[in-house]
Amino acid sequence: MAVTGSPEAQKSAGGISRDVLVRWAPLLVLLVLMAFFALMEPRFLTVRNFARILIAASPALMVAIGVTFIIIMGSIDLSMEGTVSVCAVSFAFCFIWLGGTLASWAWLALPLALLVGAVLGFVNGLIHVKLKIPSFMASLAMGFVGTGLAMVMTGGDRIRIEDELFRSLLTERILNFPLMVYVAGLFVLIAWFIQSRTTLGRNFYAVGGGEELAHGSGLNVDRVRVMGFTLAGVFFAAGALLAVGRIGIAETATGNNFMFLSITAVVVGGTALWGGIGGVWNTLVGVLIVFVIGNGMVVIGLPGYVQDGVLGLLVILAVILSTDRKSISFVK
Amino acid sequence: MSFIKKFIEQETVNRRNFLFASAYGVGGAAAMGMFGPGMARAALTDPTIAWSYRNRTNPYWNEIVSGGEAFVESLGMSKDALTHLINEGSSEKSLADVKALLAKSNGNLALAIDTNDAPNARPVVEAVAEAGAYVSTLWNKTDDLHPWDFGDNYVSHMSWSDEGPAEQTARILLDAMGGKGGVVHLGGIASNNPAIERLQGLKNALKDYPDVELLAAEPADWDTQKANQVMSAFLTRYGDEITGVHCANDTIAYGVLEALRAEGIEGMPIVSYDGNPQAVGLVAEMKILATVFTNPHWGGGITASLAYHAATGAFKPSDEPNEHREFYGPTIMVQPEDALEFKASYLDSVPTYDWADFWGPSNGPIVYK
Repeated sequence: MAVTGSPEAQKSAGGISRDVLVRWAPLLVLLVLMAFFALMEPRFLTVRNFARILIAASPALMVAIGVTFIIIMGSIDLSMEGTVSVCAVSFAFCFIWLGGTLASWAWLALPLALLVGAVLGFVNGLIHVKLKIPSFMASLAMGFVGTGLAMVMTGGDRIRIEDELFRSLLTERILNFPLMVYVAGLFVLIAWFIQSRTTLGRNFYAVGGGEELAHGSGLNVDRVRVMGFTLAGVFFAAGALLAVGRIGIAETATGNNFMFLSITAVVVGGTALWGGIGGVWNTLVGVLIVFVIGNGMVVIGLPGYVQDGVLGLLVILAVILSTDRKSISFVK
Repeated sequence: MSFIKKFIEQETVNRRNFLFASAYGVGGAAAMGMFGPGMARAALTDPTIAWSYRNRTNPYWNEIVSGGEAFVESLGMSKDALTHLINEGSSEKSLADVKALLAKSNGNLALAIDTNDAPNARPVVEAVAEAGAYVSTLWNKTDDLHPWDFGDNYVSHMSWSDEGPAEQTARILLDAMGGKGGVVHLGGIASNNPAIERLQGLKNALKDYPDVELLAAEPADWDTQKANQVMSAFLTRYGDEITGVHCANDTIAYGVLEALRAEGIEGMPIVSYDGNPQAVGLVAEMKILATVFTNPHWGGGITASLAYHAATGAFKPSDEPNEHREFYGPTIMVQPEDALEFKASYLDSVPTYDWADFWGPSNGPIVYK
């Protein structure tokens, strides 16, 4: 009962079919943006600047990939800000408690943070499925719980992670790019593997493409959903680790802004909010679009509020492109 | 044209009546005055003490509220006795919470509040005064709203003017740059008053340094991660032209430092603001050249203390001069040579303040431009 991510392209007579356009539009937008910024300011096109963009994008990329799985299922997960904060803070506490350097047992804090993310996602999924609360409400509420929990854990303080070994995520470079970019790349490959090579990944598309059908075919939809939210939690935790690696600080505010960034990135990347379409590569392109705009706007010297406006317009454009309006009779 | 004539006549009569009424009113007030201050509303006993603020996730507000808690503890109560009204950045919620608490406590309330935005201060103060409770405000109020217009119930307002201190830090920065080169400013949320004042402080200082160019000023929303991104982009745009960074607050400076660390840039002159413990540590290490401590702990405690002591009748606000009712909070410049001493006396152990010394550390009356 495999369902493919994008339906077979229907070639229209002459020219590019709609599906091809939908598939490649985000990448096209990214290239056009990069060309635009490069024309305005040649220094945009330097390797060092790409490294800067990727450093900024890595944590958000992890979070966006996590929520991509959920959006493919046709649900939504808005718990990322709370989850990221809790994971960052619990990582920092454990890391310092176990010795404060990766060379000691403190490395255990890394898997522990991922586990914390998984548990939060699992609970999130259970609340959504068992209590039959719409995912957007359940996850939003869980996000608030997470932010509150992180607040209680830190008492409003910020925890510094000074370990040189852990901070080498940012300071050590291979081929001009810091280690955290490669770590993020590894997680993208894992996500791609899950999406395309595992039953779970296929099931996400099945649920998103037609939940009734999937259920009727004997798929335990509830189980897939809970596993999806758990997986998303793990990726949120990965985002938290990279965010701490980037700034060297874990605090309640670590999760700030991730909701807007990641949902925008997923949508701009071409993953449809009603599920079944899109995937990890779309999200990668979407995240890059968002951060290329963020970086490019400053590089060419445009004020920040223009940046938000441009992102808003891009979201609308992305949804227009990825929606087949003929097939939708009404919008709610 | 008779209606005009009629209108003028009416107005004349009205004005005459108004003058009579005023004279009567003044005479009445004077007559009441003869009976002494005992005529004023009776003081409250054991009022509920509340702090209304945005939330505690921000280290600055966390300090403010911890000061409020320290004050409550100084009264011999547990710190849980302080009622927290958390508005999460909503003025509507701020006002609704205050009204609810006024109803619940039946006006037996000593309230310390930041009303979230300036226009919200008036309805809050009016609601409190109407219920016979007492309020002291921090940061936000409009320029036409004054404590002395509300008798005793609007006890005091404290704020900070950041322009002067920000100018001082800017001068330290510009001197460290050798009076030449390029400076970038990373600001707070563009519409926030402190953000505007701190940028203005830099601009004031720059007038005396003609060889320093302000390359760019971009809002970083008081946010470490945003500041990190903005600084990276500045490095792409200006590269080596940047020889100094002026940050609107400490959390922004942390993001800037990490952006520089990622590029292997060390020794860039940076100044910031707020005097958070971590920033003071960085000042001691010379990674930040100066920050400004505004003693939020004292500010939070004394605001609650003023409302409480006015409510219990320990002092009578209307007997105090205006500069005791609208005043600036303290500012202390922290630089590398005194950072450790400052840290020891203010941060490592929070000083025990005399919460009845209302105006000792304050910084003069508020001046309106």
